[in-house]
Amino acid sequence: MTDVVRAEWTKLRTSPATVWAVLAVAVGTAALSALAVTTVRCPCAGDPMTLTLVGVQLGQAVAAVFAAGVIGGEYATGMIGVTFAATPRRPAVLAAKALLVSGLVGGAGAVGVVAAWAAGHAALDTGFAARPVFGSVLYLVLVALLGLGAATLTRSSAAAIGLVLALLYVAPIVIGTVGDPDWKRHLRQWGPADAGLAIQASTGLDSLPIQPWAGLGVLGLWAGAALLAGAVSVSRRDT
Amino acid sequence: MNIDVTDLSKRFGPTRALDGMTFGVRPGLVTGFVGPNGAGKSTTMRVILGLDAPDAGTALIGGRRYRDLRRPLRTLGSLLDAAAFHPGRSARNHLLWLAHSQGLGAARVDEVLALTGLTAVARKKAGGYSLGMRQRLGVAAALLGDPPTLLLDEPFNGMDPDGIIWMRGFLRSLAAEGRAVLVSSHLMGELQDTADHLVVVGRGRVLADTTMPALVAEHSSLERAYLSLTRGAVEFR
Amino acid sequence: MIRAEWTKLRTVRGWVAALAGGLLLIVAFSVAPGAGGTCDETCRLPTGPEGQEVTDAFRFVHRTLTGDGSITARVTSFTGERDAGPGRSEPGLVPWAKAGLIVKDGVRPGSSYAAVMLTGAHGVRMQHDYVHDVAGPTGPRTPRWLRLSRDGDTITAAVSDDGNRWRTVGTATPDLPSTVEVGLFVTSPQHAEVSTKVFGLSGASGGPSTATATFDHVGFEGTTAAGWRTQQIGGPSATSAVAGTDGAEEPRPGPPQPASRSSARDGVFTLTGNGDVAPAVSGANGLGFSVTRTLAGTFVGLVPLVVVGAMLVTAEYRRGLLAVTLAATPRRGRVLAAKAVVIGGVAAVLGVAGAALAVPLGTAVMRGNGLYVNAAPTSTVVRMVLGTGLLLALCAVFALAVGTVVRRGAVALTAVLGLTVLPYLLAMSVLPARVGDWVLAVTPAAAFAAQQSAVEYSFVDNLYVPSAGYFPLPPIGGLAVLLAWTVVAFTAALVLLGRRDVR
Repeated sequence: MTDVVRAEWTKLRTSPATVWAVLAVAVGTAALSALAVTTVRCPCAGDPMTLTLVGVQLGQAVAAVFAAGVIGGEYATGMIGVTFAATPRRPAVLAAKALLVSGLVGGAGAVGVVAAWAAGHAALDTGFAARPVFGSVLYLVLVALLGLGAATLTRSSAAAIGLVLALLYVAPIVIGTVGDPDWKRHLRQWGPADAGLAIQASTGLDSLPIQPWAGLGVLGLWAGAALLAGAVSVSRRDT
Repeated sequence: MNIDVTDLSKRFGPTRALDGMTFGVRPGLVTGFVGPNGAGKSTTMRVILGLDAPDAGTALIGGRRYRDLRRPLRTLGSLLDAAAFHPGRSARNHLLWLAHSQGLGAARVDEVLALTGLTAVARKKAGGYSLGMRQRLGVAAALLGDPPTLLLDEPFNGMDPDGIIWMRGFLRSLAAEGRAVLVSSHLMGELQDTADHLVVVGRGRVLADTTMPALVAEHSSLERAYLSLTRGAVEFR
Repeated sequence: MIRAEWTKLRTVRGWVAALAGGLLLIVAFSVAPGAGGTCDETCRLPTGPEGQEVTDAFRFVHRTLTGDGSITARVTSFTGERDAGPGRSEPGLVPWAKAGLIVKDGVRPGSSYAAVMLTGAHGVRMQHDYVHDVAGPTGPRTPRWLRLSRDGDTITAAVSDDGNRWRTVGTATPDLPSTVEVGLFVTSPQHAEVSTKVFGLSGASGGPSTATATFDHVGFEGTTAAGWRTQQIGGPSATSAVAGTDGAEEPRPGPPQPASRSSARDGVFTLTGNGDVAPAVSGANGLGFSVTRTLAGTFVGLVPLVVVGAMLVTAEYRRGLLAVTLAATPRRGRVLAAKAVVIGGVAAVLGVAGAALAVPLGTAVMRGNGLYVNAAPTSTVVRMVLGTGLLLALCAVFALAVGTVVRRGAVALTAVLGLTVLPYLLAMSVLPARVGDWVLAVTPAAAFAAQQSAVEYSFVDNLYVPSAGYFPLPPIGGLAVLLAWTVVAFTAALVLLGRRDVR
């Protein structure tokens, strides 16, 4: 396993896309948040923390694209065959990729989220809250794993990103139009973005459709399911 | 160490890609692997490498399945698709991650780069390589683990005359070191001068499995032997 | 050339499946809003004389008038009370609270009328037939004298500070019979206020309100058949929100006191009313759903279209096919233009077909499940359907252009979805309303304005915010913003494709 992780790390380290992606996760997250907090003044009646951390909604797309490309790019060039010839235990390859993607996105996300929080604190005096801040970093990691799993399943970056962005961006819009309040609430509890972003709430937890950690857990289930499905399909399928 | 292919069968939908493919690759010899397009050469190689799963039959390297090897490149080196690398990565870095996956270090990478004559261009993006240089990179990757068995799909493709001569000598020297080498090719002239043993396939099964001198003695040249053996087995599927 | 690109597009099975899937998704998700309603036959809005749905609820002290005549009154006080959070209320008039004189074709909600009134914050107005509004001269709020007179078909509204010197506010010729009801009225719509200090979906606060006005010196000239009668027109609060309106916030219970009261003593009338005499609006102050909801699937359908649009050129880069294409047609600009025509055309057809199916199907499902759907004129529906086609076509060409510029399918796809869907999502959720308006005016997401069915009235209190279905730009303006983005991206793509080596 150490060998596989080391090999995957060499791959990531020597790919020009990695540096850009890591930078983009951090900068995208921080920049959108910094922009958003300049638009309002406090005292606020609502929850300033969700606005402060709004950059995560941009950072998550970059994280998903990066993670999907980590395996999707190998399918596109055919290098996946070389990889699996070198390491026939395919789930180990996926696990190594997941580990490294988590580390990179976690690190970049931490920088971006903390910068976003600092901007928000400076502008709105939000104060520090551990759960929204660290939870947002975890959120980014889980979204990246969802992207990795989806790309392993579909064997194509583009298809995987279409799928993940549909889940993250489109699903909340569609759920918002559902007429039946009970259905709407249930869908918000099980949609990866709606549930996962509950972690950003710092006040008004009673009115949330799902509690913060439970919501992040739902996103974790999505990511875990995608990775598991990816691992099963990658072992069963011809490359 | 031998490569033993026994009774391999595989279907892709209605097409029968492999239909009881059986042959062996012995150490110290270059074994040529020839047959028309669609005869099942690449599929056989992919099955040996554990990339495709056969419907029936086995492909063993030294008595073990490829997927059970812990550091497979130290047992079987392979070149399947010369373009199978990230175009933005340098040759050295491509070999480096492969080396790391086998518990090898950068020193071995530099050795195989020197062996294949790529040292001068090792730090350039592999995407800018000519087809011949890509083949050398592929061979370098195959040699990385210093394996006792080698499997090369069309290594002569796209090589200039100098490269072909280099490759020919290189394959012979690998066999002379006691390695088992399986080489597929459409270039009969090249194989006739390189291979000691020949496996001719068509429609997913073995048509002839014999030594090069025996085949040439019977048909006067490899090309004639190939044409007469595969008559009736040529079809596009 | 176009034919060659069309052949390329239709022969990749995955792309055809994606496009067909896009159409299916647009239609399939049109039924999503239809689940579970609480409205039955009784919750239905009246229709005004000009075809719009209207709210028509007010406290009315009236008598008949046959032929010509007039009514005059002095408003001595005008106060109100409005919702200030759950279970609490505070004194204050909402901006469009109304107290004044009205002449109306009977007492049926939705009938023709003309009225002159004092308002909470917009001075003296003359309004008739729900959608016509004229401002009167400024002056003190109270006391003010108001007069409404009928001369044949013409109704004239006048206002005076002292009862002697009168100034005309306006005239109107609503379609009234010879015998009408004339009298005093008071009403007060939902309180709605966009706040820049409050985050969140609504970015707003609001709730029910009441207004109370005292009239004296009530004078009547003309032929009448009866004395003054007091009546509540419409429901006590036909505008108070019903569960499942377009606004995100659940409606709050109204102030605890009875909504409507009136008393008359010595020619002094005191009326308390709640409601509105105005065109119906969707959103926080409205009742029911707008037709726009049936097009929620557009967002889902957009994803495969953008994927194919981006892949159309990035896949060729990836596989080296672009060299073959350019060998067949060396004029690179024409290749890109042909691709744009093909993918844009396909997207337009899918969008129009999808929307044309989604709107009636979604509306039928919502109605069938007991949700109240605000009626939209045919011209609006046609504009929405065509707008959806144009929106999808522009997005697909935008994706093609971005794909040509960045040469990576995944990056192009993310950029396009991040610029179209993400701003919309943020404007609908976390961003304050003012910022949301701005975002929806400058990003490609502005084009979703083409799907707006709700009409904005300057003289109706409402939250005209994105989350309630009101876009900052008109449909054409929104599409123009997306067009501008597409043109810029396409120009960049043309320049780069012409200059760069193909590899």
